[in-house]
Amino acid sequence: MSKIIRTAAKEPFKPEPDDDLIICRCEEVTKGEIRRAVHGGFRTTNEVKRWLRCGMGLCQGQTCQRNFQNIIAKEAGISVKDLGMISGRSPARPVMIDVFANEVIDAEKDPEGK
Amino acid sequence: MACATAYNLAKRGMKDIIVLEKKEIGNGGSNRNAGGVRQSARDVRELPLAMYAVSRIWPHLGEELETDVEYVQRGNLRLGKTEAHKKILEAHTAKSTKVGLDVRMIDGEEAREICPYMSEEVTSASWCPTDGHANPLKTTLGYYRMALRLGVTFITGVTVTGIRKAHGKARIVQTDDGDYEGEKILLCAGWESRKIADTAGIELPIIPERNEVLVTEMEPEMFPVMLGTADSDFYGHQSKHGSFVMGGNSGIQQYYSMPDGAHHPTGPLTAPKISRGIISYFPVLKNAKIVRSWAGYYDVCADKVPVIDQIPEVPGLYIAAGFSGHGFGISPAVALAMSELILDGSSHTIDISPLTYDRFRAKG
Amino acid sequence: MIGAGPAGLSAAVEAAEAGMRVAVFDENAGPGGQLFKQIHKFFGSRDQNAMIRGFQIGRNLLARAEAAGVEVFLNAPVMGIYKNHEVLVKIEDESVHFKGDNIIIAAGAAEVMVPFCGWDLPGVMGAGAAQTLMNRHGVLPGRKVLLVGSGNVGLIVGLQLLQAGCELVAVLDAAPRVGGYGVHAAKIARTGVPFLTSTTILEAKGDGKVEKAVIRKVDSRFQVIPGTERELDVDTILMAVGLSPMTQLASCAGCDVEYSDQTGRLSCITVTDEFCETTVAGIYCCGDFRMETAEGASSAILQGQIAASHIAEQAGYITGEECGARIAKCQETLRQMSGGMFSVKNKGRVDPTETDEGYPISRSLLERGYIAEEELQNYPAASYEAEGVHPVIECVQNIPCNPCRDMCARKCILVNGDITNIPLVDQTKKCVGCGLCVANCPGQSIFLIDKTSIPDYAAVSIPYEFLPLPEEGQKGTGLDRSGAPVCDALVMSVKTSPAMDKTAVLTMKVPLKYADSVRFFKAEGGAE
Repeated sequence: MSKIIRTAAKEPFKPEPDDDLIICRCEEVTKGEIRRAVHGGFRTTNEVKRWLRCGMGLCQGQTCQRNFQNIIAKEAGISVKDLGMISGRSPARPVMIDVFANEVIDAEKDPEGK
Repeated sequence: MACATAYNLAKRGMKDIIVLEKKEIGNGGSNRNAGGVRQSARDVRELPLAMYAVSRIWPHLGEELETDVEYVQRGNLRLGKTEAHKKILEAHTAKSTKVGLDVRMIDGEEAREICPYMSEEVTSASWCPTDGHANPLKTTLGYYRMALRLGVTFITGVTVTGIRKAHGKARIVQTDDGDYEGEKILLCAGWESRKIADTAGIELPIIPERNEVLVTEMEPEMFPVMLGTADSDFYGHQSKHGSFVMGGNSGIQQYYSMPDGAHHPTGPLTAPKISRGIISYFPVLKNAKIVRSWAGYYDVCADKVPVIDQIPEVPGLYIAAGFSGHGFGISPAVALAMSELILDGSSHTIDISPLTYDRFRAKG
Repeated sequence: MIGAGPAGLSAAVEAAEAGMRVAVFDENAGPGGQLFKQIHKFFGSRDQNAMIRGFQIGRNLLARAEAAGVEVFLNAPVMGIYKNHEVLVKIEDESVHFKGDNIIIAAGAAEVMVPFCGWDLPGVMGAGAAQTLMNRHGVLPGRKVLLVGSGNVGLIVGLQLLQAGCELVAVLDAAPRVGGYGVHAAKIARTGVPFLTSTTILEAKGDGKVEKAVIRKVDSRFQVIPGTERELDVDTILMAVGLSPMTQLASCAGCDVEYSDQTGRLSCITVTDEFCETTVAGIYCCGDFRMETAEGASSAILQGQIAASHIAEQAGYITGEECGARIAKCQETLRQMSGGMFSVKNKGRVDPTETDEGYPISRSLLERGYIAEEELQNYPAASYEAEGVHPVIECVQNIPCNPCRDMCARKCILVNGDITNIPLVDQTKKCVGCGLCVANCPGQSIFLIDKTSIPDYAAVSIPYEFLPLPEEGQKGTGLDRSGAPVCDALVMSVKTSPAMDKTAVLTMKVPLKYADSVRFFKAEGGAE
């Protein structure tokens, strides 16, 4: 990620008519909240995500990441390419704790799985 | 640490504060932790920081930062299943009560009254009712946002490579973006502080240790308490959002490859191990779904408490590092102490005298 | 192999046939990825599965995989990819560790969603999701559907919605032209569905579910034109505005993932080289997971073969020479398939004025989804006159497809040179009216016309894929390319045969003067 110099916004936050539009459906984060976060100083995908939870839900950003990045980019006047991205993390699909706990290290040596 | 210290300094009117960060805001340990705000089971040397933070800062921090930091003060249970566990917990409890902390040993029954979802296997616990938890992301970023408002400049995407003296004092911060200058330089870069301190001739006995955290999907409100175990199988809490945030490590990660600092990969063994830990204490959570895991690095100091000090050998250099996995809860107090060190020459509100950088030197 | 779709299966077959040991993991209950909901006939060339319906391609790949000894794990989502090519897979109630010398990620893509007011109402969904509901689960996504996006995915699903019995209220595109192949659009347009280009969805309205859609015109810079709002009565809004690779697994594995405009628009993709290898040695990705292409499944199959050949060579199972030859062949086919006016270099940037052959572009096809009658004269195969029955080919864009040439036993149809060239008719060869070209043209753009056998009438044969099939002697209405009723029509015959693979050839009698207008049949009583 390239260098960013951050100082406090000089202009007050300007609301827009569609600020209540939901952008992240899993965590119900609106366009206005994202715009306000950028105004408050958050400038990267992960910063906005950590501040608002957008991209932290069941889809892990698969659906909403690009949409909230577009808003950050427009608000901050930078390219989507310069915002960084949510890191992919295990598990790629939600998995129950007891499945995670129930490991089989080598299925061939130990076909019974214990 | 940086965001909170910058905030404290700016609040007292200091001008021209620049925070340099390699990646982005809140990428280090202050964000990557399970949110414990705990006094119990701490080394007595850092207990004054914890007790001050809990009694004087955390209760009104959200208001001060105009941020819901999700601070919940509903106690900390540290759980044990065996006699050996009980002995560990008792030792901690004895030391803490001696310096005035309200923490006591309870049995399994009482622990289950506090937290009804617990397994019958739990036979003992330490109970500190004034402990709690908060949201590390909101706290760190809240400090950042407020510091920004008070005039602090943050520069991200710049990697610090060294600190150089000029006229016998710390002065120049070398980076991949050229040199920055400061009259006072605070180094608080987690485990990576070590290699930067090295360039100024200061050796910090700090090594990285990867820990991982599992996050579940939203669950009904069940556990207001902060949880840990005598055996350190896992630690964590249920967040305001409803997800459980539970951390731990495989016990051997630090012997595998070293981190490159940029990527925070998770390993294949840790999440299963933490999962087994969770189920063994809280079988009720076995069907909760994990939506994500992530990793962070403890900056483990040789004696498991941090270095919070000014460095007389390098006047103008200050260090806050080596929090060893329990820095988040005390960070508001560390920031206060550090701001006093920087502005007043000493930490006069909280005693940090046992946390000097030169405590590791051989005596005699 | 992660993902048992076309890319994963073809890679698995290629690797296993080279002598490697292969395990395929897929989170779904059945293999085939998206292939088993693809009920349409594929474009391309014969050796690239042209004319074969997607699910049949899936069956063929599976049979080959089985024969080659590939082990396929179903209901087996890969939870993570770690250092040293280790993967953790959920199999039943266990987390099983596996390690591979190489990993190919072919886990597919997810549909892009564009937020608009009310987009979170039930009834708004991806077009691909609707296709899964219909074709895998037998569930109608809704009754009155608005389709947003006119790329190939949208157009293919659009026709299937009609086939399933939905009402397709309109197809929107914010761009000034239809995004996908004109022949796909024409199949929908001739049933009477309007294409609204330069139009965008503004709002979904309704109490707890979609009841209305508000749409609005946009100008050439995609800025809304005030005062052009229209309300449509719909209960379902399907979004077909692109695919986004599910890069999470690649990112989890430490592969570089970045925004790139390699696909013609900015999308998040995994960085790969020409052999589909990522920035982590030994981890490859292909198919939709790598990037969206115009001919998704066909490119996926080729990419799978490239990745597997490269791996087989690196691991010593095939020679460098053999590998080079295989890869060169796949790459040449990919080059041909990605040529033409829908190639990446043209996508969203160039509005071509003429075809590769120098014919004028059909503006009507781009803007309204069907060729205007007065444009037909521009295309030799669509506008010639001949004695007796003869094919009229209304395929006027450069798209990668040539089965018409292969289907005609009499060699009436030519596709010279590149596969993207527009078919021509060799008038020196005599058509016998077998109808195989009509039934097997994946674009359903070939018609048989006979203007001379019945006095004052013409026999028009059209491809027909709706149920119930009309019967000989049935009366109805002849519709033109826009779906407008033109004249009475009488069904003369409805031909089906195994070689036609469920596309019937319906021949109707219409007044002679409408021979060049009528291109669809609507049975009396309303049902299509």
